[in-house]
Amino acid sequence: MGVKMSAAIEIKGVAPNENMETCARLIIVGYFREMMSYKDGAIDGTNIEFVHDMRVASRRLRAAMDNFSDCFQGELFKQHYRQIRTITRTMGVVRDLDVLIAHFQSEVQTLPHEEQSGIHGLIEKLQQKREIVRKPMLELFTELETNDFESKFLAFFQSEG
Amino acid sequence: MAKPQKIIGLNPKQSFRQNARTVLPQRLEEVYSWEQYINDPERRDELHNMRISVKRLRYTMEFFAVNYDSRFSDILGVVIDLQDILGDIHDSDVILDILTDYKKSSQSDELLGVDTLFSRTQSSRNSDYQEFKIKWEHLSATDFKQKLLEIIAT
Repeated sequence: MGVKMSAAIEIKGVAPNENMETCARLIIVGYFREMMSYKDGAIDGTNIEFVHDMRVASRRLRAAMDNFSDCFQGELFKQHYRQIRTITRTMGVVRDLDVLIAHFQSEVQTLPHEEQSGIHGLIEKLQQKREIVRKPMLELFTELETNDFESKFLAFFQSEG
Repeated sequence: MAKPQKIIGLNPKQSFRQNARTVLPQRLEEVYSWEQYINDPERRDELHNMRISVKRLRYTMEFFAVNYDSRFSDILGVVIDLQDILGDIHDSDVILDILTDYKKSSQSDELLGVDTLFSRTQSSRNSDYQEFKIKWEHLSATDFKQKLLEIIAT
C-alpha cells in the first residue's frame, strides 16, 4: 500500500535553551491544533486523506505526551492522554479500511477481466464495513464537542504548571 | 502493539537540549530491543513492534531536531526510510490476512483473482523483507547506532 506520512509541523517558540516544560506545552498544543484542524474533513469523509492526517497528528501528539509526561502532574493529564489514545484508535480502524479499499481498487485494475469479480466482491464488503466503523468515529467527535474537550485540553496545556 | 517504554530522567526545569540527551537514547534503545527477532521473517508481531518503535523514534527526533545540525536530519531520513520499509512489510501482512479470511467465506469461482493477489502480495512481502534485512545489515556495518548516539550527545 506504501502510504507515506505527513511531514512534521514547525512549532514556534521551541528552542534548545528554552526549558523543557515550556517546549512540551508548545509541542503538545501545536500537534493538538493540527489534529483538530482535520476534523471537519474527516467528518465529511469524501477525501480519505483527512482521516489519515488526523490520525498521524494524533500519533505525534501521543508520542509527545509519552515523552514529556513527567512535565505534568495529576489525573487530568492521564484523562487527556486516554482521550487522545481513543481518538487514534477510533480513526485507525477507519483509516485501515480506507487504505485497504484504495489498495484493492488499484490492484483490481491490473487483473484480467475474468479474475476481477472476486476482488470487486471484497471491495464491496470492505466498503460496507467502512460505513459501519465510521459511525463510532462520528459519535466520538460529537461526544468531544458535547464535553467541550478541545477547550479543556487547551486550557490544561496552555496554563503554566 | 507494544507500549512505549516509560522515559526515565526527564527534567522539566532543564533545557530542551539537555532533555534531548535523556530522551533520544531511550527511544533508540527501544528500537534495538526488537533486533534479536529480525532474522526470522515469520516474527510478524515483533517486526510490527519494531516498526512502531521506529515510528516513536522518528517523532521524537522530529521534536528535538531544532537542537541539532544537518547530520541529525540525515539520520532522521534513514529512520524514515526504515519506517517505510517496515510499514510495507506490515501492510502486506494485513492484506494477506484479509485475503485469507475472504477466501474462507467465498465461492470457488471468486477465488481466481484472490489467489493472484495473494501470490503477488506474498512475493512483494518477501522482497520487502529482504530489502529491510539488507538495509539493517548496512546500518550495523556502518555503526549507525553509535553515530546517532554521538550526535545526540553533542
